[in-house]
Amino acid sequence: MLHDNLTVLPILIPLTGAMITLMLRQTQRLQAGCALGSMILSLAASAWLTGAVWQGAQPIVFHSGGWSPPFGITLVGDLLSAVFVLMSQLVLTTGIIYAIGSKDAVVKYPTFYPLFLMLATSLTGAILTGDLFNMYVFAELMVISGTVLTAVSDDRYGTEAAYKYFYISLTASFFMLFAIGSLYVCYGTLNMADLAERIPLDGGQPLLLPGIGFLMATFMVKSAVFPFHFWQPDFHTAAPTSVSAMLSSVVVKLGVYGFLRMTTLLFVLQAPVIRWILVVLGVAGVIFGGLSAVGTHNAKRMLAYSTLAQIGFILIGIGWGTPLAIAAAIVFAFNHSLVKAAMLMLAGYVASRAPVKSAAFDIVTGVGKSTPAAGALFLIGSLGLAGIPPTNGFISKMMLFHSGIDAAEFGALLLMGIGSLLTLVYTNRAFQRIWWQRPHENTRAKPTGDHLLAPVILIVLVLILGLWAEPLVQVARETSLWLDSPGLYIQAVLGG
Amino acid sequence: MELILAIGIGILFATGIFQLLRRNIIRSAIGLVILMNAVNLFLLGTGAYVGGEPAYISSVAGVRSDALPQALILTAIVISMGGAAFVLSMLYIISSRYKTSDLDEVDGLKH
Repeated sequence: MLHDNLTVLPILIPLTGAMITLMLRQTQRLQAGCALGSMILSLAASAWLTGAVWQGAQPIVFHSGGWSPPFGITLVGDLLSAVFVLMSQLVLTTGIIYAIGSKDAVVKYPTFYPLFLMLATSLTGAILTGDLFNMYVFAELMVISGTVLTAVSDDRYGTEAAYKYFYISLTASFFMLFAIGSLYVCYGTLNMADLAERIPLDGGQPLLLPGIGFLMATFMVKSAVFPFHFWQPDFHTAAPTSVSAMLSSVVVKLGVYGFLRMTTLLFVLQAPVIRWILVVLGVAGVIFGGLSAVGTHNAKRMLAYSTLAQIGFILIGIGWGTPLAIAAAIVFAFNHSLVKAAMLMLAGYVASRAPVKSAAFDIVTGVGKSTPAAGALFLIGSLGLAGIPPTNGFISKMMLFHSGIDAAEFGALLLMGIGSLLTLVYTNRAFQRIWWQRPHENTRAKPTGDHLLAPVILIVLVLILGLWAEPLVQVARETSLWLDSPGLYIQAVLGG
Repeated sequence: MELILAIGIGILFATGIFQLLRRNIIRSAIGLVILMNAVNLFLLGTGAYVGGEPAYISSVAGVRSDALPQALILTAIVISMGGAAFVLSMLYIISSRYKTSDLDEVDGLKH
């Protein structure tokens, strides 16, 4: 049935595209065009999937190979995964657009586009799958493609940053395998819906708690939550611009997705403890990320630390766990992806105009003087990060603070307010250094740089979602209602 | 048998984690490989409900190990082998660039 196959399309199209572009590596323009085409197709497919799930008001489940669950691998498109897939594909498409207009040497690397499409495939797959081991495989694929893309970066320290990331991620993957083994030995299944059904029936298994702990550690490494973040700023700074915009916006959202699934589906009974940990680490991340971002000397690095803080905000939303807070976390995740990708692309654009290709403040000071348009985009983006009206950041911050007031978490709210102020401080400092200050004597900006089309698309979306936020907010609220009753997911997968 | 397996996995895991935290870049990469073996053996252990019984055929009718973890291990081995090869190749580039095996001297990212 075509309807069920909708969940496969967003995985299958980029995978096919990766194979085709791998064969086209002799003809560069055709390869780039093909990559863009398959990404747009897959974006259309994921929009269709989201629309179909919304219209049908129930999850779309695909049993691969016709094996009925819990024996086969199922792909589950419920509202949460559909929204996350749509978000990822949207940002990944603009990433390819940026790469095509980019002056980096790395985009001429013959396997750049195939790897980029593999990144898209694996991210989508990890979000859509309903099987823990399958998620591990996709997550590993994502790590490898992201690492290779960074290792071939123009930045001469790309290999080191990639090594650091890969090393930590490989360890995290082993932890995930431990979690999978622990859960399997307790419950004899790895299907997420089946696990969700069995865990509440028998919560006293000795290996359940280690399993939860290992799984949490894995997702924390994946999304660079505060004490697990030390690889992240290096890795996101050294990656090529088009890739770092993806890594820092959508790839880190896999951990966020994992936590949403853990607290609302897999471990509902243990959720209060997990949530408490998430709130504590989230607040720590907000403050630590904000302070570190203020202290950096590089625009890309600043934005990487800012991701740490913004992920903290999302985790706090998940940690409060009320339907409104979860809806706020989803809206926040969606909006943050758009803003952060746009900001990193603009930082990369400035770096491409600088005399030496670097986003260090010493080098890019005053480089923006000749590009007021990029300055305006950056300013709107920084308003979006800080959460100031006409942008979508305002909507997400407002929902999050509203849910916090409802939950009467005033201590956390105060710290979050400080974190938001820090956002304003560091983004505006970057804006001043790049667009207001006089350039150094012998600094002369290059006449051309990367193409600005991709950040323009993203910033326009930021403004649209700021001024016309109802659809997204409504979808997020509906999603949090779905998440509130895990029985819906379980029934859709296991049937009857 | 179960006890020996459990103790063996424990020792491997501890050795792996200890080597992982070493400053020597090659030792830490080897620690990763040891950890990988510990994980695979642990997965094997999850399926072996009855010690050394094979997955499909055994001398006693009706007694056999669970086959699924063995399929999982197969996938995990392939993935982590690729990962280990990739780690070693990046390690080669880094050590030839810095001419050292001490992680503290690999400090290009600090600048």
